[in-house]
Amino acid sequence: MTLFHFFNCAILTFGPHAVYYSATPLSEYDTLGTSIKAAVVYLITALVKLVCLATFLNVSETDSFDPYQELLKALIGFIDVAGLYFALTQLTHRNISQCHKFQAVGLGWAFADSVLHRLAPLWVGARGLEFTWDYIFQGLEANANLVLSLSLAALGSLMWLRKNKPKTLIPIIYACAGIVATMPSITSYLRQGLGWHLPKIVGFELFTSLAMAFISWQLFAACQRPSN
Amino acid sequence: MANCPKKVQNSKPSSVLIDPVYSSMITLLIIVMACVEICDAVTVVDVYRLVQYDIGGVPFGSRLASLNHHAGSSLFSSSSGAAADLSRTVLILPVRELNLTFIKEYIAQRKPLGGLLLLLPPAFSPNADSVGGADHDSVKDLMKEVLVELEQLLIHANIPYPVYFGFEDDGINTVLADVKKNDATGQLATATTGGYKLVVAVPEPKKVASPTIANIQGWLPGLKADGDSNQLPTIAIVASYDTFGAAPALSVGSDSNGSGVVALLEIARLFSILYSNPKTRGRYNLLFGLTSGGPYNYNGTYKWLRSLDQRQRETIDYAICLNSIGSFNNDLWIHVSKPPENAYIKQIFEGFSNVAEELGLKVGLKHKKINISNTRVAWEHEQFSRLRVTAATLSELSFAPELLQSTGGLSDNRHFVDEASVSRRVKLVAESLARHIYDLKGKDINIFADNSSLAVNPSYVRSWLDLLSTTPRVAPFLSKTDPIIMALKKELADHTIEVNVQQEVLDGMFTFYDSTTGRLHIYQVASVTFDLLLLLVLGSYLIVLFSFLVITTRGLDDLISLFRRPPSRKVKTA
Repeated sequence: MTLFHFFNCAILTFGPHAVYYSATPLSEYDTLGTSIKAAVVYLITALVKLVCLATFLNVSETDSFDPYQELLKALIGFIDVAGLYFALTQLTHRNISQCHKFQAVGLGWAFADSVLHRLAPLWVGARGLEFTWDYIFQGLEANANLVLSLSLAALGSLMWLRKNKPKTLIPIIYACAGIVATMPSITSYLRQGLGWHLPKIVGFELFTSLAMAFISWQLFAACQRPSN
Repeated sequence: MANCPKKVQNSKPSSVLIDPVYSSMITLLIIVMACVEICDAVTVVDVYRLVQYDIGGVPFGSRLASLNHHAGSSLFSSSSGAAADLSRTVLILPVRELNLTFIKEYIAQRKPLGGLLLLLPPAFSPNADSVGGADHDSVKDLMKEVLVELEQLLIHANIPYPVYFGFEDDGINTVLADVKKNDATGQLATATTGGYKLVVAVPEPKKVASPTIANIQGWLPGLKADGDSNQLPTIAIVASYDTFGAAPALSVGSDSNGSGVVALLEIARLFSILYSNPKTRGRYNLLFGLTSGGPYNYNGTYKWLRSLDQRQRETIDYAICLNSIGSFNNDLWIHVSKPPENAYIKQIFEGFSNVAEELGLKVGLKHKKINISNTRVAWEHEQFSRLRVTAATLSELSFAPELLQSTGGLSDNRHFVDEASVSRRVKLVAESLARHIYDLKGKDINIFADNSSLAVNPSYVRSWLDLLSTTPRVAPFLSKTDPIIMALKKELADHTIEVNVQQEVLDGMFTFYDSTTGRLHIYQVASVTFDLLLLLVLGSYLIVLFSFLVITTRGLDDLISLFRRPPSRKVKTA
């Protein structure tokens, strides 16, 4: 019965990625290669981040919130943004429109994140006899992360790939990108500093990811209009 | 390695670096997948299994060891008055609230049950703080009586499911409260309704091959006068040190017969002080015997006596056997098998009574004839009497125990032993023996006076009682070189001149099975219906997500076209 639970949590964690790929025009344009390249870039970025964290961060015994350490973690988090920049701009993609490029990159990015951070705990933990809600919440978190990655990829493509942007929107774009990039630090602050429990944190993540997705969609649509 | 996507054919320098990283990740993942399941149970407790044994091929005790069923809390379900089907349920019953008549009926009618977990009050744990006599209250006495009755019921029944004993603690109490609440709604926990699952993963119990019993003897020779060629007479002091109970891993037998062992060691210590100086060495040899196999008709004593040289045996003037002398009440009995009119018996009894009077104790005499044809040996002195050696047993028990009764079981632990009482009885025996050895008559003789160098040492008594009260000593489960046997041997070697350990195989009538302890994991499980429901919810979520994405990115027509079959090609070719 517990493999059943593992299967349930696995389709919650990884199902939306597959559904997104097959439902949107991504599958028609066969952008799987782009997604895979983005996933690989994510792996490298994760490795670089790990090395930096190990070098610069001290391990604290207590679980308290140390602002200096968190600031350092946030700065290292910007390596994520650098990785995304690399994936969006430096890798050669086949001729796919920008609209689809950022989706493919965001999808690959989010899938690699889910696999790296959530597959191992799921395999080891969800198969046991003991029942906890943790893995279901982890799956919901993976969904929120997918939406966030797509928003960040959209904003990233707006920042680096689109040459003519309406002047008024530029600061908004950068502000939103900043918020989305620092989302991991915000959630860890909520978890450790304010002591929120898992359901609350997951709810917050889902809400903010949907909000940011909506805002970035509007920005993307607004930027697309003048070029038409 | 073969998972590298074939599309990445463009020769970029970064792709060479990607492969080893990727493969190491994959191997790491495979290693993690092969990991043993991490324990994530709600609670893990040590549990002790009911003894499993055969007498002459007839099985007794609990015949199974491994457990993997849902938890229940009562013999009846609340919705219907009749007993529910419990063949796949483990009942958790605290002994405090136990209804013995129900259990007796249940076991006698051999009703099916998945398993039984009996929770003992934490005060009966061998590792509980040993508060001495002051905390002695009627609640504990009542508990003791219940435990004795329960124990006798369980060890004489043949139970086809696993029975375990555990101790109440916070974790288990919360689980039990939860289970009771669930049961109150009238639903027994099964695979489809969730609840708690109890798992004890132990291998199938196997027979203990050739169980050994170890008899330890210590010899303290007396003073031989020059020119005297006759053998000196011997006095033997004997106590059996092993126990038997419903849970072999908990049978510490503080009173039966830990008190006897402690008394023997203390007497050995006192006489070794006296015998170390030739001026105070008596004209008697002293033979100290710590025998095993007590619960099994004193099998060890039988084998030990037959291993003694016949001449040595004939020099034994008399033997004193110590059995259960540590309780709080003041009654003491000397049990004999020779008639009380016998001169030797009279002498022994008078010696003890005189000393007892001086110490303010009361000693009575009880006579029980031996029936040679009956294999049951109720007292240790009967083994001596069958070889025509005068012997008596000093005990607080007034009636001869039945087979496997009063052998130091669940209820016999440190709380029910009074070290002051043991010390008094040590003084009684030592003083009586000394007066006999040194042929002292008259009043105002106090050899082992308090505050003298020969006083009974209360801390010696206390420390050995504490040690024995935390050591389960069921003979078939003690190895040949078990620490307690080695400790007793070493202690006796300190006080006597010659120590021998005799290893024998226990009489073939008794067969024992191993697997006496285990770890119980309690998991909180979700029901199958919950998993199915979750699958349904997730399936519909993914379908809704799919439809939403198709509609927003490709339009509603595309969604509908997915379900419509493409127009048949045959029309064109025709």
